[in-house]
Amino acid sequence: MKKLGKQDLLLMYRNLVRTRKFDELNIRMATEGKLLTFYHSCQGHEAIGVGACTGLRKDDYLYPHHRGHGLSYAIAKGVNPRECIAEHLGRATGWGGGITGFHTCVPEFGILGVGATIGSGFVLSVGFALAAKKRGEGQITIMFTGDGGIQRGQFHEAANMASVWKLPVVWVVENNQMAWFTPYRDTSAVEDIATLAASYNMPGEIVDGMDVLAVHTAVQKAVERARSGEGPSLIECKTYRYRSHSEGRPDVSHYLPRSKEEIAKWKERDPVKLFEEKLLKEKVLTKALIQKISQECDAEAEEAETFGFESPFPDPSNLSKMVYAP
Amino acid sequence: MKELSYWNAISEAIAEEMKRDETVFVIGENVQESPFLVTKGLVQQFGPDRVMDAPLSELAIAGATVGAAMAGYRPICDLTFADFIYCAADEVLMKAAQQYFSHNAKVNVPCVFLGVAGAGFGNGPEHSRIPAAMVMNNPGLKLVMPSTPYDAKGLMKAAIRDNNPVCFFFHKKCMPMKQEIPDEEYIIPLGVADVKRVGSDVTVVATSYMVHLALEAAKNLEDIISVEVIDLRSLVPLDIDAIITSVKKTGRVVVVDEDTECCGVAAEIGQQIMERAFDYLDAPVARVCAANMPIAGAAMEKYVIPQLAQVQNAIEAAAGSGFSA
Repeated sequence: MKKLGKQDLLLMYRNLVRTRKFDELNIRMATEGKLLTFYHSCQGHEAIGVGACTGLRKDDYLYPHHRGHGLSYAIAKGVNPRECIAEHLGRATGWGGGITGFHTCVPEFGILGVGATIGSGFVLSVGFALAAKKRGEGQITIMFTGDGGIQRGQFHEAANMASVWKLPVVWVVENNQMAWFTPYRDTSAVEDIATLAASYNMPGEIVDGMDVLAVHTAVQKAVERARSGEGPSLIECKTYRYRSHSEGRPDVSHYLPRSKEEIAKWKERDPVKLFEEKLLKEKVLTKALIQKISQECDAEAEEAETFGFESPFPDPSNLSKMVYAP
Repeated sequence: MKELSYWNAISEAIAEEMKRDETVFVIGENVQESPFLVTKGLVQQFGPDRVMDAPLSELAIAGATVGAAMAGYRPICDLTFADFIYCAADEVLMKAAQQYFSHNAKVNVPCVFLGVAGAGFGNGPEHSRIPAAMVMNNPGLKLVMPSTPYDAKGLMKAAIRDNNPVCFFFHKKCMPMKQEIPDEEYIIPLGVADVKRVGSDVTVVATSYMVHLALEAAKNLEDIISVEVIDLRSLVPLDIDAIITSVKKTGRVVVVDEDTECCGVAAEIGQQIMERAFDYLDAPVARVCAANMPIAGAAMEKYVIPQLAQVQNAIEAAAGSGFSA
């Protein structure tokens, strides 16, 4: 496993901050009624995408989670997140060309597209991994979903198939303990998702999803296993959703408000703050640098907003030409 | 020229395309033994990595197909029975059909969903459908339903080379049919109907095995009515021009389709005829389809699925009826 140097750590920290700032931008624009679609905030989840996608090859296939609509994953892989903002404003410069409102699709970075039914990424990632295995160039596939995703049949069929065929795929489940408004504990037969891996004869690991380095280490191990032809892995990141399922919705568990104490308790281990404190202690970061990075990320988000609003809408006369490929 | 059966024509097309293009592979349940024969013998020729016997997992089979297609391959997904497309609806209808459009035409999904379709063997409601209207109602999918060995081969080659997901439904009742097939390569482009019988009194627009019922009815009636039979061959793209040309000549049309009547293939074609050729019609557009009920099995099947007598009666009625002045 490649050891992370100071520059890698700083980049990870910057990407955590960028994710948070771009998430805040989407939330603000949603609140102001500017988004032409819905938004599912990723606050609380940032360390997972950033930790897991740092160090991937550009041609590795990536299927992001719907939280943040792909932000942390795409950012860590090197995609300019202004494409995300433009997509949410319905502009032609968005990463889906302004066609879907939020789907992530950046093929040159291995993001071939996403679906919007939770858990459907499991079987598509089997296909990406099958193609990678056939091609034999060492590509792997990494796919993210939530705890609700493993409750669909797609997970179980994909896990079995990928394990039998030893496909190079890593599945990262972000267990924030809520699927929409329904708590995981009331709808799942097992406490830890990682234990399901044993049923399909693959490794399953539980990771602190608030710790970017813990995520990175666990995912890199699984990536190496996949690259060397040993097959799939399942990684469960324990995390927490700070906000409601999507912006503007009530923040409830079943039908009652979620516990404010519980939310506050998880925020004490905020993934951005946690990493910031660690890097401060290790003198990789300084107060001045933190402020500088924060300002730069604010400026980047501001530019992205301007870029989005100044971009043209897609030409509706093209829609009918895109139903079928030539 | 050589004589090939319907299934053999399909398997020969697949073998030729697998030889020509290394990105083509077959994935599905029992594709090595191939209970419906269309992939039989391929594993001996191309090995198990390109003729993949999969677990009994329609979601994973169809999902792997879509994913591999997005990642640069041309998979042929054997659904076994066409009815099983309902099991993999998320993968086929939402992902295969829509990924190209929804991601701004950046990523193609070139693949074939192969399914044995149709009634005739009393197999009941979950093994006898041709889910044609549902496929037509999901833009992004193409749909091919060949009626003869010659067409099946040429259309399969076109389907594999197409840059879109193509549902290729072959009919159980056509399986033993044989026909002379040229030795040299040929491809039948999707979206080109074939006039299987030339006539001047009534046009019958038919699909899949219903083409053979239409031809039989036409023959039985040949002394009294001159029937033109159009085999659509592919429903998406639909060769509406071929239908309209014939309707303008005959002024009378019967659409014969084995899928369920309500919101069905015939309903769509009838509407399009009305929109484009209303002034040429001398009688209302008639249709013969599966009755609006699940497909019954065993001895009850024939009370749901179109039978020869119904087709014949519909043609006679169309020939004899007319709008009053």
